[in-house]
Amino acid sequence: MTKQQLNIGFVPLTDCVTIAAAQERGIFLANGLEVKLKRFVSWAAMRDALGTGAIDAAQMLSPMVVASAAGLGPFPREFTSAFTINLNGNAITVSTSLFERMSQIAPETITRRPMSAYALKQVIDSRRDEGRRKLVFAHVYNHSMHALELKYWLASAGISPETDIEIVVIPPSLMVDALASGQIDGYCVGEPWNNKAVVAGIGRTVITSGEIWSNGPEKVLAVRKAWAEENEAVHLALVSAMLEASAWVDDMDNRLTAAQIVSGPDYVNVPFDEIVGSLTGKNRQTGGELRMDMPDFNVFHRYAANFPWRSHAKWVLSQMIRWGDLPDSLDVDFVAAQAFLPDVYRKAAGAMGVACPSADEKVEGGHQHTWLLTDATAPLAMGCDQFMDGRIFDPSNLDGYLAGFSVRHVESRLGESDRQQVSSIAV
Amino acid sequence: MTSLSDHDEQIKPVQQGATKVAPLRVLLIDDDPERANIVEVGLSENAVVHIVSHIHGRTLLDEIASIAPDVIIMDCESPDRDTIESLRMVAQSNPKPIVMFVEEEGSAQMNEAIEAGVSAYVIDGLTPKRVKPLIETAIARFKHMDSLRSELRKTKEDLAARKTIERAKGLLMQHHGMTEDQAFASMRTMSQQQGKPLKDVAESVLTIIGMLAGTTGKANTP
Repeated sequence: MTKQQLNIGFVPLTDCVTIAAAQERGIFLANGLEVKLKRFVSWAAMRDALGTGAIDAAQMLSPMVVASAAGLGPFPREFTSAFTINLNGNAITVSTSLFERMSQIAPETITRRPMSAYALKQVIDSRRDEGRRKLVFAHVYNHSMHALELKYWLASAGISPETDIEIVVIPPSLMVDALASGQIDGYCVGEPWNNKAVVAGIGRTVITSGEIWSNGPEKVLAVRKAWAEENEAVHLALVSAMLEASAWVDDMDNRLTAAQIVSGPDYVNVPFDEIVGSLTGKNRQTGGELRMDMPDFNVFHRYAANFPWRSHAKWVLSQMIRWGDLPDSLDVDFVAAQAFLPDVYRKAAGAMGVACPSADEKVEGGHQHTWLLTDATAPLAMGCDQFMDGRIFDPSNLDGYLAGFSVRHVESRLGESDRQQVSSIAV
Repeated sequence: MTSLSDHDEQIKPVQQGATKVAPLRVLLIDDDPERANIVEVGLSENAVVHIVSHIHGRTLLDEIASIAPDVIIMDCESPDRDTIESLRMVAQSNPKPIVMFVEEEGSAQMNEAIEAGVSAYVIDGLTPKRVKPLIETAIARFKHMDSLRSELRKTKEDLAARKTIERAKGLLMQHHGMTEDQAFASMRTMSQQQGKPLKDVAESVLTIIGMLAGTTGKANTP
C-alpha cells in the first residue's frame, strides 16, 4: 500500500509532543501517512506556509483558526480544525522585582489561589501616582490563548490591557531574556519558558492558564478547509493518528518518555530537565508557590480533550469581540461552525471506538470538579471548566455574557455621556 | 506603535533617480552580516539602510518607531516576525511593506502568499545588483495589493455604516414615534456634540434601545 505524503508544521513548545510522538513512535506510518515535519519559529510563518500549501496541517494556536474563520488575517475563512491538540499549558510570570512589589502592596491577595491581579492593580495605580512608566507585558501572538488569558486575568481585577499597561508580542524563546533585561515586566507564555525564568530566579509564576479558565483549548490541528473537503480520507487518517498519539502521551506512565522525545534536537531542543515538569505536572509553579503538583497542567486526551467544542470557539470569539478585534454583529454560530468540525472528529473517533460527546457545545464555567458527561456515545469523564471569576459562559447567549464585562475595548464601551445623550432621546 | 509616519509618497520618485527626492528609508533586520552587506551595497545609492541585528521585542519596536522606515526587510524564518506582525495589526490603516527573504525552493508558494496580501517575498541568493529591482518590485506589488484591500475594506465599512444608521433610525421611529427626519436629525446633533462619527452614534442608539427594550444590545445582521 502506498503511503500518503503529508507535510506538518509545528512550533518548538512542549505541546508539539503529540505530533512528535506520532512521528517517532510510527503512529503516522501505521495510519498510512508518510509525514515530513517542518519546524517554525514564528506563528506568522507557519500560517503563511499552511495558507499557501507549503504544509498540509499545522499545530496552530486555537484563536488563529477562529480568527481565520471570522475573516481576519491574510487567509480569511480558509482554516479549520477537527482536532484539539491540548488543553491548558500556559502561565503568567512576572519579574522577581514586580512580584516583590506586589507582595508588599497587597500581601493578603498574594497568598490566595488562583492569584488575582488585584495586587498588580495596586502596583499600577501607585506607579501612575508616582508618574512612573507603564508596566510592559508580553504574549506570543495577537490571536492566541496567551493574549486572551492575559487580558482576562488583568481585566478581572479592573486593569485595562489597553490603557493601564503596554502589551508587546515577543517570540517564546526570547521571553526570558526580555524579562531578565528589564525590557518587559511580565508575560504569558507556554512551557518551558515560565519554568526557566523561575529556576533562573528572574521571575515568579503568578497564575496558570488552567486556573484562569480550566481546560480551555490551547493548540489545534489546523488544515485548509478546501484541503479537508478534497482529502476527506487523509484528513480522517490524520485525526485518527493524532487521537492515538494523544492517548499515548496523556497516559502518565508515558510522560517521561514523551518528555525525552520532545526535548530532542529535532523538536524543542532543550535539556530534558527543563521540559519534564510541564509534562509530568510535577514541580510546577503558580501563585508564587515554587513546587506544586498539577497533573492537569497539560491535558492531551482525557476529558474528551481532543473534541473540537464549538463552545470553545465561541468563547474565543466572545473575547475577540470584547477586545475589539471583531464586531459584536458577528454571526458567531456561523463562524464557530466554520472553525471547528466536530463531525469529522466523531467519524474518526467513532471508527476507533473512542467515546464522543453528542452535542457540539456545552455551557462553560459550571463545573468546579470533574464530572460525567452522559450525553455521549459512552459516558465521558470530564474535567472542570470553571473561570477564575466564577462566570458562566452560555454559548447561546453571547451578548448577555459580554454585557457582564465592565473592562472592554475602549471604543466599544459606552461612556457615561453616551448614555445620557442617548437616554435623552429615548425618554 | 502607531507612530510610523507616512512616507509612502516618497517611494515612487526613487525609481526615477530624481535629485531632490528624500531617499527611501529601509530597515533591515538581519543577523546574517554577509546578506545585510549585499542589501546595503545594492541600495546604497537610493536608500538609507538601517541595519539592526540581535535585538527583539520592545527594543525592536522602539527602533522601528524611531527610524520610521518606508520598508522593512527581514528573513522569512526570523522569530521576530510575530512581533513585526503585531505592529502591522495595530497600524492597519498604514501598513508598511515588509520584504522577506525566502529560500529558493517553495517560491511558487511565496508568490501565492504575495497574492494573498501577506507580504512581499524576495528570493534569497542576492547580488548587490539584483537587490534594488527586487525590492522595488516587491514594494510595488505590496502597494498594489494593499490599495485593493483598503478599497475593499472601505467599501465594506461604508456599507456596514449605512446599515447601522438605517437600523438606528428605524428603532428611533418605532420606539419613540419620531419621523425619519427627526430620527436622523437627533443622531446628527449627537454626532456633532460629541465629535463622534454618525455610525458610532447609531451603534450607541442600537445598544441603548436594545437594553431598554430588555433585549440584548446585539445588532443582528441578516
